[in-house]
Amino acid sequence: MAREKKIENYDVVIIGGGPAGLTAAIYAGRARLKTILIEKALIGGLATYTNEIANYPGFPDAPKGEAITNLMKDQAKKMGVDFKLTAVKSVELEGDEKVVETFRNKYLAKTVIIATGGRNRVTGGKNEEKYLFDKGISFCATCDAAANTDKHVIVIGSGDAAIEEGMFLTKFASKVTVSVMHDEGKMDCNEIAKEAAMANEKMEFVWNTVVDSFEGDDDYLKTVVMKNVKTGELIPIDCDNCFEFIGYIPNTELFEGQIEMTGRKYVMTNDKMETSLPGVFAVGDVREKWLKQIATAVGDGAIAGMAAESYIAETETFEAHIMQSAKPGLIYVYNAIDADSRAFLQTIEKIETDASGAIAVNRIDVYKSTGLADRLGIKSFPAVVTTEGGKIAQTLTAELTEESIKSALNL
Amino acid sequence: MAKEIIIDSLGEACPVPLVKAQNALKEMEIGDVLVLQIDHSCAMKNVPEWARKDGHNVEIEEVDDGEWEVIIEKAK
Repeated sequence: MAREKKIENYDVVIIGGGPAGLTAAIYAGRARLKTILIEKALIGGLATYTNEIANYPGFPDAPKGEAITNLMKDQAKKMGVDFKLTAVKSVELEGDEKVVETFRNKYLAKTVIIATGGRNRVTGGKNEEKYLFDKGISFCATCDAAANTDKHVIVIGSGDAAIEEGMFLTKFASKVTVSVMHDEGKMDCNEIAKEAAMANEKMEFVWNTVVDSFEGDDDYLKTVVMKNVKTGELIPIDCDNCFEFIGYIPNTELFEGQIEMTGRKYVMTNDKMETSLPGVFAVGDVREKWLKQIATAVGDGAIAGMAAESYIAETETFEAHIMQSAKPGLIYVYNAIDADSRAFLQTIEKIETDASGAIAVNRIDVYKSTGLADRLGIKSFPAVVTTEGGKIAQTLTAELTEESIKSALNL
Repeated sequence: MAKEIIIDSLGEACPVPLVKAQNALKEMEIGDVLVLQIDHSCAMKNVPEWARKDGHNVEIEEVDDGEWEVIIEKAK
């Protein structure tokens, strides 16, 4: 039963409510842009899966991730940001008007900020799908640790998350068996976590192993069968629950084919968080970057919020003034730090005076931003663009003289 | 006529809200709507995730600070 979707217009639509999206929302809201943040589940993103955040500046008491992101949410709300808790079904990112559709709504946006983060990678072991989430395989110790009081759990992985979450699980479970892919004594986590884990009596390690299969009955996981990567030997281990902490996959399926991504499907951005499409930004764990932390996500969000503001302002100037259609237009694009280009401003002024109001003159200084020049397709400066009826007529980059410009304008 | 069922799961921790929602949905017809009231944030993760994975339409309203209604429309 197709129901009419409600259409709403926004300056900024942010997809994803983790620290990156929330920070982008704070900045966009503060820049007085009409902003909505769409989140498919709980505001706070991956940070809410972590029980202790010890390295986010300003919070020396290592609060729960959710405590920090709830403060960010309050802050965004104070800035007038709207929140919508639902999943995005599709997006159209090309063109000036972006479309973001959810189950019931259609949002039309001037800019879109992608902050969709990632999700847990799975082992790919046999029968894994059958036991995911509530049937024995978990990705969230915070969520499921208490349910495993006095039980035997298996942890897959040896990175920071695996070992730290595994340590947390030892507070509840009677035994935590950790499957590590590497040789004895070698883990992917930091040294401090490793030392603490090795000293923990409730923790046991099975070295050189990966998951081969998950076995159990129809309802619940009973055994994880490990495979020794060196000998090929299969090692079945009975457990009450299995926790997988083996990394993340970026949530970019929605955007595939629309914006540029890396081979591993992370979104490519420049240092202004711009993607390959104008007006589309990406922030946080979803973009290709070196360090994925709350602190870096927050930095991304701030940049994208401001970049979105600047993009919208530029679009308005571009459409209303630079590409005006009332008169033939003369656009002088120059870099103010170049003395010759500065001097040529006098010639432009003379042309303007001589035309006595017959043409509309715009001067674009590219020193701070080449955004407007990019829209005109100009890469070298100085340059002159003439317009007719709001469209580009001619572009002059060489031999800029009063005569050549006047002749281009038929003056 | 599509029915709307409201389940009060306030004050209940995981996995109780999820199990209640799963049981309720089994009894419902396609097009019926389940409104699950929760205040444990863990359920904000596993309930929508399960419902979407099963192909239903999900939307969430934040009723109050830390109190939500997960609205699930049975789609199959």
